[in-house]
Amino acid sequence: MKRTWVAVGIFLLLMAAMGVAAERQLLIFHWWTAGGEREAADAMFEALAAKYPDIEVVENPVAGGGGVSHRVVLQARLAANMPPDTWQTLGGAELKSYVDAEYLEPLDDLWTELDYWSVIPKPLANAVTINGHPYVVPLNMHIQNILYYNKDLFDELGLTPPKNFAQLIEVAKQIKAAHPDMYPFALGSKEKWEAAFVFDSMLLEVGGPEHYVKLYKGLIDVKNDPIFEKALEMLQQLLDYTYPYHATLTWDESCGLVVSQDSAMVLMGTWAIGYFQSRGWKPGINFGAVTFPQEPERILLFHPDTYGIAVGAPNPTAARDWLKVVASPDLQIPTDVTQGGLFARIDIDPKEFPDPIRQELQEYVRTNPGKLILDQHGSIAPMSFTQAYWDAIAAFMASPDIKSTISTVADLFTVYEVEKEAAWYKWP
Amino acid sequence: MKKKKLITSDSLAMFVLLLPLLITVVLLYVMLFWTFYTSLSNWKGVSPNYTFVGLKWYKMMFTMDRFWTDFMNNLKWLTLGVLPTLFLALVIAYILEMSNLKKIETYLRTLILYPSAMSFVVTGTIWSWIYQPDKGVLNTIFSTLRLDFLKSMYTANPRTATYWLILIFIWQFLGLAVIILQSAFRSSELQEMIESALVDGASKTRILFQIIVPNIRSGLLILGSLLLISALKVFDIVYIVTFGGPGYSTDVLAFFMFIATFQQHLVSLGACLSMIIFIMAFMIIIPYTLYAFKRWFA
Repeated sequence: MKRTWVAVGIFLLLMAAMGVAAERQLLIFHWWTAGGEREAADAMFEALAAKYPDIEVVENPVAGGGGVSHRVVLQARLAANMPPDTWQTLGGAELKSYVDAEYLEPLDDLWTELDYWSVIPKPLANAVTINGHPYVVPLNMHIQNILYYNKDLFDELGLTPPKNFAQLIEVAKQIKAAHPDMYPFALGSKEKWEAAFVFDSMLLEVGGPEHYVKLYKGLIDVKNDPIFEKALEMLQQLLDYTYPYHATLTWDESCGLVVSQDSAMVLMGTWAIGYFQSRGWKPGINFGAVTFPQEPERILLFHPDTYGIAVGAPNPTAARDWLKVVASPDLQIPTDVTQGGLFARIDIDPKEFPDPIRQELQEYVRTNPGKLILDQHGSIAPMSFTQAYWDAIAAFMASPDIKSTISTVADLFTVYEVEKEAAWYKWP
Repeated sequence: MKKKKLITSDSLAMFVLLLPLLITVVLLYVMLFWTFYTSLSNWKGVSPNYTFVGLKWYKMMFTMDRFWTDFMNNLKWLTLGVLPTLFLALVIAYILEMSNLKKIETYLRTLILYPSAMSFVVTGTIWSWIYQPDKGVLNTIFSTLRLDFLKSMYTANPRTATYWLILIFIWQFLGLAVIILQSAFRSSELQEMIESALVDGASKTRILFQIIVPNIRSGLLILGSLLLISALKVFDIVYIVTFGGPGYSTDVLAFFMFIATFQQHLVSLGACLSMIIFIMAFMIIIPYTLYAFKRWFA
């Protein structure tokens, strides 16, 4: 009998201890589990531990996190009303899907307390503001439209990095003439979005930023739009100089073509910097990078990684403390330098980046915050549309047919009610 | 009194023994009904929405070009994935059984069975290296042997990509199919029949098609159903090797279901696709069920 009481006592004590510990736990879902990204996640949690040593971070408490399965598990937990305290989401359409489902708390008071509006670019604030309220704290900005090139090869042939489409084709021609075995332009369209990236750059050059935003807000009649048609024609022209088996490669494998000298250029986001470095290529020495196109206007397409607070979060105060750290340079500097994006805050010194590429980009963003537009991953249009749109553009790159692609894309805008679903996006 | 107690413990035992089956059945059919209901509701986005909208998502699905591409691809899988496998397995099993390879037969069988022992994730990755048009194994071998006319785009060509994927399926399932047929061969009645046919001087092809095939119908039926179901629910090979591409030319219903539900967040559309897969599976299973019932109640 006595033994039973002792056991019950121990049990109760344990429960109490767990209750106390739970006060300062932080349940967090994120997908930074791959090499390079894992280190960035560790940098985030080190910054949190430095500020709040009493918070215990519990990462992805369900097995099967990371990447796509991250969203599957998270979606199930949210639907079952068992949310973590905070989770990683991209700004834009993905964030909007959580806000529409009322899974996230509005953070107006936190933003005011941190005065976050005044330290980040306005287009970034707009990308996380839905119905007038900010719902998450962004910690970085990935830039989509960057053209990476083999610097040694460009020096050898006396080429300058192209600033517009005509120059891109000219450069590709010269590379092809000097190295007939090479496919000047690398591409890996296996996951489809890579193809839409390239197309976005064509759209930006022909139509400019206003057209780009209007298109993805569903305000353009694609069937009768000369700009969309012209951009497709350019994409088709580029195919002559593009790696022909792009459907078999993922984005990192396409960057690998540049390293292995099978190709000379690739259009990819800021995360490619980390990839090139992991292959032993030094930025500014082995490879160069320019945003593309730079003419007629230099626009940067971007998307942020962000964190918010769940409605019904088990540990709301810990989550709030976490977001304060997310908003701080103490977290953004080590994390963004490791993971590959730009700083969300434009009051951080661009010289914090070790590579000249991001130093220049951060400086440009700092002085021209109005040149940022939400990209494919951030997605102005709803995700249902975007997925199908990527398929259409990837299919075009596998077997180009301008007429049928235009009619397919035009239908997608209607079927997925883009005009209604994308009305939230404000630019600039 | 005693009798009553006995019955109770009996029914208790029965209940305990039936419980797992009951749970499985209830889970299965509740989920099935749930999916069916979801396909008639308006769930899009990340939070559940069970508002009844009738056939709205089915209508949308039937207008989608992607759905029909997938449907046709699934039919290709069902025919080209299953029939060649059945035929090849029959021939290989027959050769293994009838020839004088008895001593090395065990080793050969292991060799053939080996692909089935690996997961699709592994074999898919290996095959994408083999198929890679630029630096892949096949094209490199053809170049080295100066057989350039044999080189192909494989999965990079939207028109033929699906067939190359189906080839992986055949390769992977062949071993299992051979084993199942071999065991069907080994009934003593059949062995006796073959022996007497041999004594009568029947040719080996005749033995195969006129004696063996009619007598291993149940084995063929089980194997056929198994292959059909596996071909119908194919997902891994497509996911790993082509991700549905180029464009969506190699897409199948199961892969589209995954994309619609978890990437596009159109859960009701995903449920509609599941129902189509279910109906197709049901139609495949009917012949087998009828056959089984006939045998049980005959």
